[in-house]
Amino acid sequence: MANSKAVFKRDSGLQARMLLTMFLLGLLYVGFAGVLFAAGAGAAVMAVVIGLFALAQLFFSDKLALASMGAKEVSPEEAPGLHAMIDRLCIQADLPKPKIAVADMDVPNAFAIGRSQKAATVCATTGIMRTLSPAELEGVMAHELAHVKNRDVLIMTVVSFFASIASMIMQFAFFFGGGGDDEDGGLPFIVVLLASALVYVISFFLMMSLSRYREFTADRGAALTTGRPSALASALMTISGAMQRVPETDLREAERMNAFFIVPASVKGSIKTLFSTHPPMEKRIERLQALEAQLQAA
Amino acid sequence: MGFFDALLGGGKKLKTAAPDRLFAMTTAYVAMETELDMKTTGAAGIVFQPLATSDFEQILRDTQELLAGTAEETGTALESSDDEHGYRWIILRDPDFEDLVVAMNTVSTELAAGGYGDRLLAAVFAFEQKGRRVHFIYNYKRGAFYPFVPSGGEQRRDSEAEMRIKAQLSDEGIPFEPELTRWFPLWDIPL
Repeated sequence: MANSKAVFKRDSGLQARMLLTMFLLGLLYVGFAGVLFAAGAGAAVMAVVIGLFALAQLFFSDKLALASMGAKEVSPEEAPGLHAMIDRLCIQADLPKPKIAVADMDVPNAFAIGRSQKAATVCATTGIMRTLSPAELEGVMAHELAHVKNRDVLIMTVVSFFASIASMIMQFAFFFGGGGDDEDGGLPFIVVLLASALVYVISFFLMMSLSRYREFTADRGAALTTGRPSALASALMTISGAMQRVPETDLREAERMNAFFIVPASVKGSIKTLFSTHPPMEKRIERLQALEAQLQAA
Repeated sequence: MGFFDALLGGGKKLKTAAPDRLFAMTTAYVAMETELDMKTTGAAGIVFQPLATSDFEQILRDTQELLAGTAEETGTALESSDDEHGYRWIILRDPDFEDLVVAMNTVSTELAAGGYGDRLLAAVFAFEQKGRRVHFIYNYKRGAFYPFVPSGGEQRRDSEAEMRIKAQLSDEGIPFEPELTRWFPLWDIPL
């Protein structure tokens, strides 16, 4: 028998779709860059400025996100169980130890942030630690560590770069009323504005779908790390059930953090899949069950 | 991890056990005993995630039988227990350190040969130095050792002592884990 058993098969369908999404995004951005450069140097300057913003976001967003959640970093003495659990998951997933933070709120959720594996922070709410059993919590933390391992924060930041340029241009347009029409050969401002709007809308949907693919991948990574797909599935069920019982104020407060949460805290209940950063719960559980079946059959 | 692995969401497999370097312990033990007054407690353990699959249970039983067979010559005792984190420990006891390392190697090779090398978390050797416990933890995925010295009290470790031990044994051929962020503690080691 081979040294390592392929307990879980590759999910090449998922990877193909992810690759296609990235390709479409790339194509869109190349086209958009073309329009920007045709419009003149002003746009290039803007791109540099926004590039700097993106860098700043990459370096400071983790602290901002933690602060907005009221999350505090905890030492091993303060949260011994959580630390011990993550220590073992890190050995198993071959990751350096991330910072661990706890947010004192009832919404049962967890998220991972940080631009690199070394600068990562994993955060859990007190709600999730109360609600889930140890095995379920382990599944959730493994999911967050899979995000760290897959560099999802970095990838989503890079991917959203041109989308932010597009939205910036639209905001500028509102400020100046489209007055900056240059007559010396460049594209009229209205064309750039329309292109920006189009790029923003299309990239929004592509990014949402990319984010959903990466959630599936993180679920898979978690199942791989813990060897217990069903524990994560059961955690997802518990969380989605508990999400509806918590006070609405907390949910709205949590809304800002949706992109990095394990389950989006939606006030409305059901949003259209197209608009959401996370795949529907049933789909995730379905795939986890398929993984459990593979594991048992191996 | 390659670029495309990162782009598409990580390698699809866990890292399997790195080339076995458990025997580095045997050679280093001479210096540990004579120079650092660090003596084996006669116990060592392998900690891993037990999978809830039938062939995994079978491999575990086979391994235990295999060890029980050789134990008659060497006198190595074997027991297993589950800890509160959901991991399983196979604990080996033998006053002869060399036999202990051989038995540790047998167990990890068996599990790896069964295809479950990626489930191995760590191998732990317990020593006693001046009345306190010193552990050497072997991270299978990294193929590296690091010392772990709990200093009593809730989740406290003596990092100073750990780094000193590493420095003192730097010439003994132990492959030490270079990154301190990967010196993961294991609390409540049942050894």
